Amino acid sequence: MDILDQLGSLKEGKMSRRAFTRSLLGAGVGVMSLPLTSRMAGAASEDHATYFTWGGYDIPELFVPYKEKHGDLPNFSVFGGSEEALTKMRGGFVVDVSHPCNQALPRWVKTGLFQPIDTSRLSNWADVMPDLVNMPGNDAEGGNVWLAPFDWGQTSITYRTDLYELEGEESWDMLWDERYKGRLGSLASGGDAWWVGAIKAGVDFENLDTPEAFDKIAAVMRKQRPLIRTYTDDTTTLEQALASGEMVAAMTWNSSATLLKAEDVPVKFASPKEGALTWVCGLMVHKDAPNLDRAYDVIDSLLSVESGKFMINDYGYGHSNARSFEQFDEETLVSLGLSSNPSDILNAGHFQIPQTQEWETKMNSTFEEIKAGF
Amino acid sequence: MSDQTLPETEAPGIRQARPGRLTSLLHGSETLRGLSLLSPTLLFMSIMILLPFAILLVMSFWTPVGFEFDTTPTLNNYREAMERPIYGALLERSLRMSGIATVATVILCYPMAYYVAFHVHRNKMMWIVLMTLPFWTSYLLRVFAWKVVLGYEGVINSALISVGVIEKPLEFLLYSQSAVIITLAHAWAAFAILPLYVSLEKIDRSLLEAATDLGDGPVMRFLRVTLPLSLPGVISASLLIFIPTTGDYITPALLGGPDGAMIGNLIQKQFGPINDWPMGATLSIILMLAIAFICAVFILLTLFVRKRIS
Repeated sequence: MDILDQLGSLKEGKMSRRAFTRSLLGAGVGVMSLPLTSRMAGAASEDHATYFTWGGYDIPELFVPYKEKHGDLPNFSVFGGSEEALTKMRGGFVVDVSHPCNQALPRWVKTGLFQPIDTSRLSNWADVMPDLVNMPGNDAEGGNVWLAPFDWGQTSITYRTDLYELEGEESWDMLWDERYKGRLGSLASGGDAWWVGAIKAGVDFENLDTPEAFDKIAAVMRKQRPLIRTYTDDTTTLEQALASGEMVAAMTWNSSATLLKAEDVPVKFASPKEGALTWVCGLMVHKDAPNLDRAYDVIDSLLSVESGKFMINDYGYGHSNARSFEQFDEETLVSLGLSSNPSDILNAGHFQIPQTQEWETKMNSTFEEIKAGF
Repeated sequence: MSDQTLPETEAPGIRQARPGRLTSLLHGSETLRGLSLLSPTLLFMSIMILLPFAILLVMSFWTPVGFEFDTTPTLNNYREAMERPIYGALLERSLRMSGIATVATVILCYPMAYYVAFHVHRNKMMWIVLMTLPFWTSYLLRVFAWKVVLGYEGVINSALISVGVIEKPLEFLLYSQSAVIITLAHAWAAFAILPLYVSLEKIDRSLLEAATDLGDGPVMRFLRVTLPLSLPGVISASLLIFIPTTGDYITPALLGGPDGAMIGNLIQKQFGPINDWPMGATLSIILMLAIAFICAVFILLTLFVRKRIS
């Protein structure tokens, strides 16, 4: 039956009521079954592992081995901060693999939402640098680990070399520079910003959980707040603002500087004299992971040399696979703020140390108040 | 209406008691019939609205302990919400911002709705569809579109620079309260146009003629006839915009910057990184009460005004 024909007959009043009802029925069945067909077609994606990660890691370049093996990319879900991610999973969101950092590790393990990783199932495990594996709270007995380290790097300042006039050495003072009021940016997550505040205030990370430390850091953050154009968890916002000159300096991770340099924006990733904030992030497997085999393939893919090369070259992050560094000479690594020996970098900066859940809650609520202007 | 239909429906119900008790009961009572018609919706509403509300209410009396909750009921959350200045200030700011956005939207949309209701005689439907056309895209897309318009290298700034009015981009356009208000006023316009149009369309034209015959000029005629009769539309448009925008969080999150944050952002943070769900629940309840209070005052006020001017 031709649909134009039906409309024509309807217009001329020739269509019988029965014929009309029949075509209505046909349309109804069609509409109802439409979602079914698309579901069948998309069924393949439900077999894939779900990777719950930071924005920017949901790209094909990191899943070359996975794609070779399974023909498609895993499913992605993206978060802006690891606290947000944990809350979402505690609320019942089941994923296969997630991506916390060393500072959150003991708290994540304590929730009982994750299962130990059987390292014998990972073909790249032998190349993973032991320095990164041996973190406090990572031992899950029997040679297993809770978190498979994947990337490491620094939180520091990316600044425009042409717009920001540097006085003396690079320092965290740059993000507290009154001359550039309203042209400075910051990450919104307390997981970065508060720790940077601690470095700026001169608080030792060992004493972070004391009332004096809270007062000191809060005072520093309050001082910075009027200077900040915007706080955001979205690194793209910061990168665009730096590229356009809306901001002259911002707190970022390695990748923002590397990406902007690739776009020929005159920026530099500072090495502040007080030391940068350093961290190691890795992969954890959910205890109810629906596609456990593929979860291991996701991890293996991320730990592969191919992914490592991409991480170092395009994002400027350190990778956990020792062989990834063989592709780069010392000079390139130094210019990226990296080293084939991660402890050189991690210990030169201020390495994050795990805190209690109560601290995390108190820190976040204080920082939110400061950001809102109190 | 009901006075007229009642005797008609009751009479056959009494006489023809044969078709089973339930049916006769249903046919017999107007109220029962109404309720049974309502019941699917009513059931849905009570499950989807009352249940979450009950959970929020109960949770607002709890205290978080690490990842768990201490379920001994306490009023501490409410006390804290009253004592710490941030909550009150953000609530006040949200109500003020969405209040301004509401007034702006209604004032901007009223002439549009008026024009379509009174001066468009052919293809009215097409006009309505055209006016709602921008709302066929996603809300998020519209917010981002405003980011492009207001941004540092955005449409307004580049236009002003190319014309030579300014030399450096205006920075107050984006990441400010005004950016949020502008976006809200645009993003919710459809919710104002439609109720305003409906209430204007319903106005009996002979009343306007009568007013003219009795000597009212166009201005007085508008103030004494059109405006009071379209007040129900104004009220529903205002409520439709005011209630959801007060709790909005995605617009201030993307366009507000540090000074443009609203209470919705804080509530979202309580359920997210701050990890204090009871406090989030408390703030939601307080927000709901504040909105209910303001709406009640607003409705009473407009009813009073309507009585006075008509």
